[in-house]
Amino acid sequence: MNVVQLEHLNKQYHKSGKLAVSDLSIAIPEGAVFGLLGPNGAGKSTTVMLLCGLTRPDSGTVSVMGLDMRHHGNEIRKKIGVAPQEIALFPSLTAGENLLYFGRMYGLSSKYVRDQTEKLLHIFGLTEKSGKQVHTFSGGMKRRLNLMAALLHEPKLVILDEPTAGVDVQSRNMILNYLIELKANGTSIIYSSHVLEEAERICSHLAIIDEGKLITTGTLELVKEKHQDCGNLEQLFLKLTGKNIRD
Amino acid sequence: MALIFIMPLALVIVMALVQDAPFRDYQELKLDALLVDLDADTLGVKMRKAFAAAGQVNLLSEKDSAIARARVHAGDFKIAIVIPEKTSEILRRKTRQLITTVFANFGLPADRSDSVSLPSIELKIFVDPALKANYRQSLSSGMEKIIANVQTAWILDELQSQLSEGRPDTKKLEFDLSKVVTIKESYATEDKYRGFLLNSVQHNVPAWTMFAMFFILYPLAGNFINEREDGSMLRLRLISGSQVPVITGKFTFYFLVCILQFLMMVAVGIFVMPLLGLNKLVLGGSGALILLTACCVAMAATGYGVLIAVYFRTAQQALSFGSVSVVILSAIGGVWVPVYVMPEILQTVSRFSPMSWGLESFNDLFLRQASMQTILPNILRLTGFALVTVSASILIHNSRTVV
Repeated sequence: MNVVQLEHLNKQYHKSGKLAVSDLSIAIPEGAVFGLLGPNGAGKSTTVMLLCGLTRPDSGTVSVMGLDMRHHGNEIRKKIGVAPQEIALFPSLTAGENLLYFGRMYGLSSKYVRDQTEKLLHIFGLTEKSGKQVHTFSGGMKRRLNLMAALLHEPKLVILDEPTAGVDVQSRNMILNYLIELKANGTSIIYSSHVLEEAERICSHLAIIDEGKLITTGTLELVKEKHQDCGNLEQLFLKLTGKNIRD
Repeated sequence: MALIFIMPLALVIVMALVQDAPFRDYQELKLDALLVDLDADTLGVKMRKAFAAAGQVNLLSEKDSAIARARVHAGDFKIAIVIPEKTSEILRRKTRQLITTVFANFGLPADRSDSVSLPSIELKIFVDPALKANYRQSLSSGMEKIIANVQTAWILDELQSQLSEGRPDTKKLEFDLSKVVTIKESYATEDKYRGFLLNSVQHNVPAWTMFAMFFILYPLAGNFINEREDGSMLRLRLISGSQVPVITGKFTFYFLVCILQFLMMVAVGIFVMPLLGLNKLVLGGSGALILLTACCVAMAATGYGVLIAVYFRTAQQALSFGSVSVVILSAIGGVWVPVYVMPEILQTVSRFSPMSWGLESFNDLFLRQASMQTILPNILRLTGFALVTVSASILIHNSRTVV
């Protein structure tokens, strides 16, 4: 069963006139760690926004856990966890307060949120920083907390947009290990990134998009098998998207 | 905190102090004026007595008209009155000639000893250009009234003199013409507020309180746009698509801040203003209706703030537009100067300012002890304004949120 089904999605930004997503169709199986890969400006973030219902497609359908985004947007958002590329936290609140607030907004009980907060702070090594205001955190700490806010309600689908951007090696390692743990527990993960080593390490499936169009998709093994002349994912990526610098 | 509470309190106190003198100008201010009495006869004495009785002008003597003029020019005095030499004598002789002419016309015996053509009398007033026109006018009218009274008294005196010719036993009568007709002013207010007038505190407390309440858009829009920029708003959108709780949550919080501002301002008007030598704020109307009006103004102010916060994308745009628009709304709404002194076109425009609706209701309640029926149209306008702005905010915010 597919946890996400995108069908013939089109999205054009009217101000710039740029076609961000063009006839994009992707199926993401349940329990997969799905790498959404592409160079800068390929349409990854727009696809993530369409997946979360943060923007409306010009045409096409988005179906998440069998629910159509057009009619069940709120229901879908309650079921998924999203860690956007931007740090989406209240900087003047402490780490604990942020998690408590967001947990309550998800409709979770205070006790459940407190237990979850304690567990996640421990896993991500932020227990001692629980009472500190977020604006005092380093980039890596903010990134970890941003991810924790997406995991509070134990969603069955987690969407991560560049979750390791700007973090140090230790933080990155911690995040990736946790994602592997989540995968083992059956959580589906959509992982949007242009860090191909990370994708190769954790993804079971992937899609490479460029200029809003799907270039290739399938399991990691299948895609690699199709392009046996490429030694690794990076070479495969460059072969499919070209070596021209993107803005 | 300072922007929301301290600054508005400082503003209302400063404005009440600044406008205290202009308000008193119309009601209770005593003006010092110079009197150069070159005549040194009856008219000067009568003028002193009349002005002293009226109580609005305090006449001080000066002997030289050139010095008096120079002192007015220097701004030491607002006004100087010069009674030229022989004014009383000429006035008296002109009166006598007038009576003689009337007697002669009716064939009555008259004293024809004085038939010299007399020059017209010209009293001079030196005025400071800064003196308000209405003040100048009321002073001139006052002087004309005094001269008319003096002349009337002399006409009666001369009539008695000429009619008593050849009747040595007839005694002259004294008449007090000031008692013939009197004007009694009273205010159409309830008994306990009789004699109570619009003053600086009564105008400035509600007016600048509303101004401060509308300035809630500053922290509101700043906070809203900050949340948009720092990403926390994005998180809320990711959790729930409906932005109604976000908008209504902010609306409720800032609405309560506005009410708190109002209560603090009223408390300052009642307890602090008198300590500064100003009048005490008098809440003439029903407390419940005053609170209802304050709630409606707070709703309108918060609704406007939310709309500005949602509509504009950057803090700079929102705060620049927001603050200038509040100043314009306050100016046309009668916060700075009363609406009735504005040009007709602005009076028409002011009907569309929520601050005008609020101020009108507060004045109706404070000064006229108005009923619910009187303030209802403005209450409905303010509530309607709040509903329209909040609904528009939710629509705009949802349209940017999505599916």
